[in-house]
Amino acid sequence: MGDHLARADDFEKKAEKKLSGWGLFGSKYEDAADLFDKAANSYKLAKSWDQAGAVYVKLAECHLKLDSKHEAANAYADAAHCYKKTNTKESISCLEQSVNMFLDIGRFNMSARYYKEIAELCEQEQNLEQAIAYYEKAADLFQSEEVTTSANQCKQKIAQFAAQLEQYQKAIEIYEEIAQHSLNNNLLKYGVKGHLLNAGICQLCKNDVVAINNALERYQDLDPTFSGTREYKLLADLATAIDEEDVAKFTDAVKEFDSMTQLDSLKTTLLLRVKEALKAKELEEDDLT
Amino acid sequence: MSFHMRRGATTQRLFIIKYSAYSVAAFSDQSPAGFRQRTHRPKAFLLDFRGQRMSQVFEGYERQYCELSANLSKKITSASLLDGEQKKQKVSEITGGFEDAEALIRKMDLEARSLPPNVKATLLAKLREYKTDLNNLKTEVKRITSANANLAARDELLESGMADTMMASADQRTRLMMSTDRLNQSSDRIRESRKTMLETEELGVSILQDLHQQRQSLLHAHKTLHGVDDNISRSKKVLTNMSRRMSRNKWIIGSIITVLVIAILLILYFKLTH
Repeated sequence: MGDHLARADDFEKKAEKKLSGWGLFGSKYEDAADLFDKAANSYKLAKSWDQAGAVYVKLAECHLKLDSKHEAANAYADAAHCYKKTNTKESISCLEQSVNMFLDIGRFNMSARYYKEIAELCEQEQNLEQAIAYYEKAADLFQSEEVTTSANQCKQKIAQFAAQLEQYQKAIEIYEEIAQHSLNNNLLKYGVKGHLLNAGICQLCKNDVVAINNALERYQDLDPTFSGTREYKLLADLATAIDEEDVAKFTDAVKEFDSMTQLDSLKTTLLLRVKEALKAKELEEDDLT
Repeated sequence: MSFHMRRGATTQRLFIIKYSAYSVAAFSDQSPAGFRQRTHRPKAFLLDFRGQRMSQVFEGYERQYCELSANLSKKITSASLLDGEQKKQKVSEITGGFEDAEALIRKMDLEARSLPPNVKATLLAKLREYKTDLNNLKTEVKRITSANANLAARDELLESGMADTMMASADQRTRLMMSTDRLNQSSDRIRESRKTMLETEELGVSILQDLHQQRQSLLHAHKTLHGVDDNISRSKKVLTNMSRRMSRNKWIIGSIITVLVIAILLILYFKLTH
């Protein structure tokens, strides 16, 4: 390990010397870029991510001087990957730079993918709003490249975060759109009921009884098989429980559904919110009467 | 069931019947073997028609062996129908019988070898048949006992389990309770299986989504490859152009050089000659 570190240091110093000194035919940038590359490799082997990231950034600058944007963007991406292990902010900034360069060149696919990575990093840091912004950009780019599945995945994440941040209308629209799209596709149509369930739960969170019933009817129109599924049954039960403002019935319906398939964390948070709203309404009514 | 009949050309007529389930009529000059009925299941019979030259001792041994092997086969069939302790007893009896049979065979062997060579050959052949017969019996017993070991262990295990359930069946209430218990258990199990099925369904859905994504990336790669193909053919054209131009330039320069050299030589020549 120490061996790699020493070699990496060596390479870096040589590259710096090349940059500062005079070279023949201006080939010094290429040589320096080569040496930087080797230095960064050795740093990676020695597991010193920060130094590797720094060297990758220098490498990117060299490539920029050589006017090869593609290489520079790749180098920035590598730097971001190194920084991912230690320092997320640095990696986000590196990824942004690389994304900008890719957009300049016109490689939307790569830039969309890197946007998605940035969004995931934001998500890890629990920075949901930024994550939503980046996911939206990624989804747009994917859509323009006609890579609909990745676009759908990004949109799903957006809807999830929107629901967590209580932007229910947005989430509902996205889920319904995804469900509509998946109906046509033979492979995806089995996932439709999951999407409709999510949309239905968001409707419940909005606490608008008429809208809920309308939505349920709409979903039935969308997908004729939906009414036979347990998800539909759950939604109908929950709707009636909210109508009658009966917390026990609500809990029963949820428990029954949970006993068959475990509810994931998003659904549990949303349903918990609905339940608390219901309880609050009950208490209010008790107060008034 | 093989019916093996060997007819000697001149002297003896021997019938050896192995594994026969049919009754065999037996004739013997020397000993009244008589008819053996089907119930007795005769196993192997030696018939000696005109065997004055056969050794008496050998015949005696042969008869004993035949009786013994018939006995053993009977015991084997009966043992395969029993189980547990009685089976073990039978098996131990049978193994005792095997030892006797082996002793008899050894004695027959000695006898056969002490006789003159022409009868020796036939007697040795008979002896080989008896030996294979005995081996068959042994393998049968082994098969029974090997199945036996498993079955005996299983029976012991399950017997103790059965005893508990058999005990409490006298009281009607307890019986009803037990049956409701069993029904609840089965409904629990059904619910568990339903849960597993739903989980599997979800897993299937996610796999389908992955497949969809992969399909899209494959299609995209396919398109990109077409683009790459076009670019490669274009670059090939460009390269051929370049090489053609290079060779043209070479020719031009070469011809200019030769023209210049010729011009220089001419000038020198004219200079020198004038």
